[in-house]
Amino acid sequence: MRVTRRTMRRRFVILLLCLLLAVGGLIGRLAYIQMGQSSWLKARAESSWERNIPVEGTRGTIYDDKGRELVYTASAPTVIAVPAQVKDKPGTAQALAGILQMPVADVLKLLQKKSLTVYISPKGRRVTEQQATQIRNLDRSGIYISEAGKRAYPLGSLAAQVLGITGAQNQGLTGVEKQYDDILQGQRGYISFYAKANGERMPATGEHYQPPTDGQDLQLTIDAQIQQFVEREVERAVAEYNPDRVTAIVEDPKTGNILAMANYPSFDPTHWQDYPSTTYNQNLAIWQTFEPGSTFKVVTLSAALQEKKVSLADRFYDPGYYEVAGRKVKCWKAGGHGSESFLNVVENSCNPGFIALGERLGKETLFSYIKKFGFGSKTGIDLPGEGNGILFKLNRVGPLELATTAFGQGVSVTPIQQVMAMGAIANGGMLMQPHVVQAILDHDTGQVVQQVKPQEVRRVIDADTAKQVRDALESVVARGSGGSAYQPGYRVAGKTGTAQVVVNGRYDPSHYIVSFMGMAPADNPRLVAYIAIDHPRPRNGAAVFGGVIAAPIVGRILGDSLQYLGVPTSNQGIPKKPKPLDPVKVEVPNLVGMTIGDARRTAIQSSAQLNAEVMGTGKYVIWQSPPGGTLVEPNSKVRLYLGDNPPKAN
Amino acid sequence: MVRSKGNVDYVIVAVTLVLLCIGLVMVHSASSVISAQKFTDAFYYAKRQLMWAGLGLVLMFIMANFDYHRLRAWAPKVVIASFLFLVLVLLVGESRGGSKAWLGIGSFGIQPSEFAKLALVLFLAHYLADAADRMESFVRGFLPPLFISLLAVGLIMLEPDLGQSVVIMGTTIVMLYAAGARLSQLGLLGGSGLLAFAALVAMAPYRIKRIVAFLDPWQDPLGKGYQIIQSLYALGSGGLVGLGLGNSRQKYLYLPEPQTDFIYSILGEELGFLGGATVLVLFGVLVWRGFRTAMFAPDEFGSLLAAGITGMIAVQVLINVGVVTSSIPATGITLPFISFGGSSLTLMLTGVGILLNISRQSLR
Repeated sequence: MRVTRRTMRRRFVILLLCLLLAVGGLIGRLAYIQMGQSSWLKARAESSWERNIPVEGTRGTIYDDKGRELVYTASAPTVIAVPAQVKDKPGTAQALAGILQMPVADVLKLLQKKSLTVYISPKGRRVTEQQATQIRNLDRSGIYISEAGKRAYPLGSLAAQVLGITGAQNQGLTGVEKQYDDILQGQRGYISFYAKANGERMPATGEHYQPPTDGQDLQLTIDAQIQQFVEREVERAVAEYNPDRVTAIVEDPKTGNILAMANYPSFDPTHWQDYPSTTYNQNLAIWQTFEPGSTFKVVTLSAALQEKKVSLADRFYDPGYYEVAGRKVKCWKAGGHGSESFLNVVENSCNPGFIALGERLGKETLFSYIKKFGFGSKTGIDLPGEGNGILFKLNRVGPLELATTAFGQGVSVTPIQQVMAMGAIANGGMLMQPHVVQAILDHDTGQVVQQVKPQEVRRVIDADTAKQVRDALESVVARGSGGSAYQPGYRVAGKTGTAQVVVNGRYDPSHYIVSFMGMAPADNPRLVAYIAIDHPRPRNGAAVFGGVIAAPIVGRILGDSLQYLGVPTSNQGIPKKPKPLDPVKVEVPNLVGMTIGDARRTAIQSSAQLNAEVMGTGKYVIWQSPPGGTLVEPNSKVRLYLGDNPPKAN
Repeated sequence: MVRSKGNVDYVIVAVTLVLLCIGLVMVHSASSVISAQKFTDAFYYAKRQLMWAGLGLVLMFIMANFDYHRLRAWAPKVVIASFLFLVLVLLVGESRGGSKAWLGIGSFGIQPSEFAKLALVLFLAHYLADAADRMESFVRGFLPPLFISLLAVGLIMLEPDLGQSVVIMGTTIVMLYAAGARLSQLGLLGGSGLLAFAALVAMAPYRIKRIVAFLDPWQDPLGKGYQIIQSLYALGSGGLVGLGLGNSRQKYLYLPEPQTDFIYSILGEELGFLGGATVLVLFGVLVWRGFRTAMFAPDEFGSLLAAGITGMIAVQVLINVGVVTSSIPATGITLPFISFGGSSLTLMLTGVGILLNISRQSLR
């Protein structure tokens, strides 16, 4: 069949219709994209054009318990460059360097960086308003002025380790600043603009400013005044005893609020970079673990009273040692305390008495109380870097371990754990969770956004037991080893502790941690205060003993703080013994024949509180002056003459 | 046969000139950023395009007044010459964007494949006009013109330039169909075309990735899908009425090749759906007038030549806009009269000139 022109024409029509149909289809497709999908495609396109320069919000202020500023952010203009937009880099570098007084080469290097934004560090951070105006007047492309804040500390280094520090990006690094970083930080804002694909500013497009949201404020439980008392006492202790470390805590036992927390060594938060990292990275009060020594006896006592294994009036005979599994564990007092009541055992901090209580309780019960008091686990304080402490594993506790644990050896605890355990005794038997923040406040209005409620952890002992323990501890201060914590009118109750430190697997005879854990007023404690001094070195070679060094410090902290809090004095307390003649003479123990270690320990730990001065060399005391039995004033000096062999007849 | 020296189809003239003007404005707008970036002269591309447009209009005017019958005698020589150029470009051509498609003359480059496209249309019209008796025969009627086209496609695929190859095959099919080829023959061609396509994909796996990119460009937004996504961003942000002439944002180095293969995206961004649809309607009118010319041409050669030129323009528009709107797999081809490109523009206008001469000799 020959193809006719008619066929051809028919096919032209079909082709035309097909092609027009295809064109129509494309118009439909175009309508779908440009109208149906326009909004999300446009949104995605816009976000691909958009570049953001961050603008920091002001970091929240941290107040103390009474609303005093502890740290706030002072905001200042900061120079930011968008390198892709800086047209004349050498010229801009020259101009900026002149205003900021930076080397031109350094500025140029920053402007040549291949990143969206660069800070002109260091001189371009926090410039003066005058410099900012000069830079704005330069009107250089790609140079922006943003706001950046720096932390200011109106009270200097007060509570530095609680507050913590912030880094260059305004982020919390330690302490409350880290723990509550999200709340303090707020929301970043932006200067937004459209950029070409190569980062240059897109011409004829405006910029959009998304203002930042300021961070929220925090109100701490820390009271700047009490904190100042505590830091003053820490400084005094450092000046007097030149110790390695000091830790002090004051707590409100009813709420678990921490009113003061201080450590030595500390640092100045404005210049934290100048200090060793351990000073700003570690908060000894919650991190350091050590053998508590006698302060731990409070736990044994509480357990024994709660389990009705003892009455304070029961009698006990201390021959100077206690035989455990065939070994004689010595009392710190050579010759022992003889016949005494269990109240005397507490007052005298008599080790054999507490070993007896430990045996009566048995290891399961004693350890269950230790755990109930919060030892061996974190207290959950709202600060980063808390320690756990170490307890014996129950299946590895033999009679000897039970005995030492009962008087505070062989366990390892943190200061905050001890404070919270003491707090439970103070508030009637409830273990509280400690915290340093009591409220989150709105930065602009100061309104409370969120209140931190006191958090009960568990009941440890009942109120009656707690009262008995408090009474016994008041007696410790009034009549026993904690005498120097006594504050007239404020019924201070407390317990001393003197723990030797293990160095290279052995107790170091010259390295002690002395501590005191106190509360007042004993009938209704408002405060618990604690201090631990690691390796005190008295200048006159005086005794290293918790009752001598630590107790008076806690006494002063409690006295000043209670007075500041307006707590009325009372005359219902146990009068200080002996009354009214104070100081009284004490009897010098007979130290001749002892090894030097025993003699020194006895001299230090006896209620005589004597300073031993060693003459000559050797292992044994061969003579002493004044001789045993002499009456002297407390803190008198006793000279010990040494020889290689013990004296033959005594 | 009486050759009435009537009037040219003024609709074709008007539509061509309008498209050409839109093209010149859009080339300037789309290329200004890239020109300033590359040549520190925002008018670099626009000035060249204006020059090519001038040359093209002269060629169009000449061809409109040159009796198309006299072209017939040149057809075999022209097609042989174009093949020689296609070989030459493989030997001494310049590579741009991965294909060796340009013969450099000074700072200008000419694209032999554009020339070959028009030469093939001329040759196929010449051959098929006398083949009315032979079209029934597969071997004597159908195969010879197909063989010539496939030879051209083979040479162009060596550059390689998939877009031109597809346009040539599309135009060839349009002309074979118009010339009365049997549908069974075209079906066979379609089937073997699919096989050939499969073979091409097997030879160069990047082609399959282009197809995947078309189906889901967001699978690889920074790689294969990048160009399509940027094109859709441009069209999407244009919306109904567009951002306004000169206000494209995608041209700020986001969309590659904004002045050539993807100029329609920028057009859609600046002039919106209304602008984009208007351009398509104008092409529709051009196709209608082109086939009208074919229908009333004084002889078969004129009919097939008019249908071939119109078909070539239509196929190229469909592929270009299809790619830009992510309707078909990505294939690089210019949008007639609009995209930047000297060879493309001058040869398209030359083709329109031939079309106009045919319309002058129309039987009506």
